[in-house]
Amino acid sequence: MALSSTDILDKVRDAVIQGDTKETVSGTNRALVAGLSANVILDKGIIPGLQEVGDLYGRGEYFLPELLISGDAALNALKLLEPLLSTSGTTSQGKFLIGTVEGDVHNIGKDIVLTMLKGNGWKVTDLGVDVPPEEFCSAIERGDFDILGLSSLLTTTMAKSVATIEGLKKAGLRGRVKIMVGGAPVTQEWADKIGADGYAKDAAMACKVAAVLLDKSQKEGRNAGT
Amino acid sequence: MQELNGLQRIVTAIKLRQPDVVPTFDWVDKKVRDAIMGDTNASCEDFIDYLDLDGIVLADRISTWGYEPLGVNKRGRQLKRCQWGAIIQFTDEGTGIPMEPAIKSEKDLDSYVPPDPDLPWRYERLKQLVKRFKGHRAIITGCTDVFDVAKENLLGDAQYYKAMVQNPGVVDRVNEIALNYQLQYVKNCIDIGADVIFVNGDWAMTEGPMVSREFIQRFVAPSLQKIVEYAHSRGVPCIKHSDGNIWSIYDIIIDAGADAIHPIDPMAGMDIGEAKAKFGDKVCLVGNVNCATTLVSGTVDEVRQEVKEVIRKAGKGGGLICTSSNSIHSGVKPENYVAMVKAIREYGAHLA
Repeated sequence: MALSSTDILDKVRDAVIQGDTKETVSGTNRALVAGLSANVILDKGIIPGLQEVGDLYGRGEYFLPELLISGDAALNALKLLEPLLSTSGTTSQGKFLIGTVEGDVHNIGKDIVLTMLKGNGWKVTDLGVDVPPEEFCSAIERGDFDILGLSSLLTTTMAKSVATIEGLKKAGLRGRVKIMVGGAPVTQEWADKIGADGYAKDAAMACKVAAVLLDKSQKEGRNAGT
Repeated sequence: MQELNGLQRIVTAIKLRQPDVVPTFDWVDKKVRDAIMGDTNASCEDFIDYLDLDGIVLADRISTWGYEPLGVNKRGRQLKRCQWGAIIQFTDEGTGIPMEPAIKSEKDLDSYVPPDPDLPWRYERLKQLVKRFKGHRAIITGCTDVFDVAKENLLGDAQYYKAMVQNPGVVDRVNEIALNYQLQYVKNCIDIGADVIFVNGDWAMTEGPMVSREFIQRFVAPSLQKIVEYAHSRGVPCIKHSDGNIWSIYDIIIDAGADAIHPIDPMAGMDIGEAKAKFGDKVCLVGNVNCATTLVSGTVDEVRQEVKEVIRKAGKGGGLICTSSNSIHSGVKPENYVAMVKAIREYGAHLA
């Protein structure tokens, strides 16, 4: 008996949760053959899977290895879906610019956030590590980003997040993006103090905060337009 | 109580007994040392004598690993190939972080040639420290955790973590490469005169362990245990360092045989009083004056209060070495570090 659409999507979601790339990709193909649209597969299969992975991580049941293999599974499925998403007119969640601040070359935390964001449908541009404030400013000036994510893993480099925010203000670009900060020594209090719009302690939280900030940004945009 | 020297204080604390004064040591950044000494030409050893610290830390990555210069990247940062084969980028702080691992695929493992731990130049710095301090200050010799070497330098973080689930045999192989080197390195260090082995490398992040308890027991702890067992066979104690929240895994560190745990990370919610209650009778606690907040932006008085609090919570009965919560990095106010050391001497003396 043929599987129902719900069953097919549940299998994709479960494969993401299990971090099973092979099964996630074959499940995605099965869903496409069954006539499900790319955006439905993303919204009802991949994203719920990653959200569950984030919840499992938050509850201390999943750790970095599980997060990474689930992220890989989702990204491999996205490779199949992305060309179809653009042709079916589906837009991504939003555009996210990310980087580790100047003087700091840690990349694992940033990369996990990046993977989870992509899996959740964000268009992510990665400036890499050790990124000077002026490089963030220049990227924001050139691009059309909704959110800037600043990662700092060292107490000594946290100040560079402040310098980046100040740089954006000086360049008249602060209003163009919402800013999120994260990294081991970073706290909500510190984020508030330096004028960031959001803080996330881990990748799962980053996806949730990014969605809230995008919604807020869109409402502000709508209000500004009326 | 009889006045002890630095080595005796540290050994006494590690044995969970009460020394005359709570001992202290830290790795101290050169900028901070120079500011305190008022002399940019003073050596690290001069600084240790100047502040009368109880031990000196030899950072193995800095003093014993080989690096081949590769020039600079587009941002002007130094790139070097470390002895394991990874490409390392250095920051202004002198911190090196692997950007590209040595082993890109399982096939690379077959032809991988590990570094030689027996090269004499590796031990020149340690010999200098032994000559100057042996017998009166603890020579605390760094040994990067096998988990760190194998993960960051050999396989790369992401590949290592994924292989734990998908290809555990590769993890075993890279662990073995790093362990074989480190065991020989530790042997050589002890032969020369290391008093304490300091196994540095994080097992946890702010919220908790990087990997599950199951994976720590399967892949991470056995290497620590082998290093500790060897050091113990030579009568040398081991301090295990891990930043982060280790509440759910401290028992594994203790079971591996570590004599002390550093730094009881306050930024990750580790309260040293709670640590004392939970495992202070099993291992020496080494920490935890906050070097992310108090030592960086606090006042001298706030530093003194925090030292007093650490000693009040964990000093009674012995088994405490009071240090910063990681290291005295360049962001620490020099006057705050001096205040910390003085306060340890003051509040840590003649405890009941």
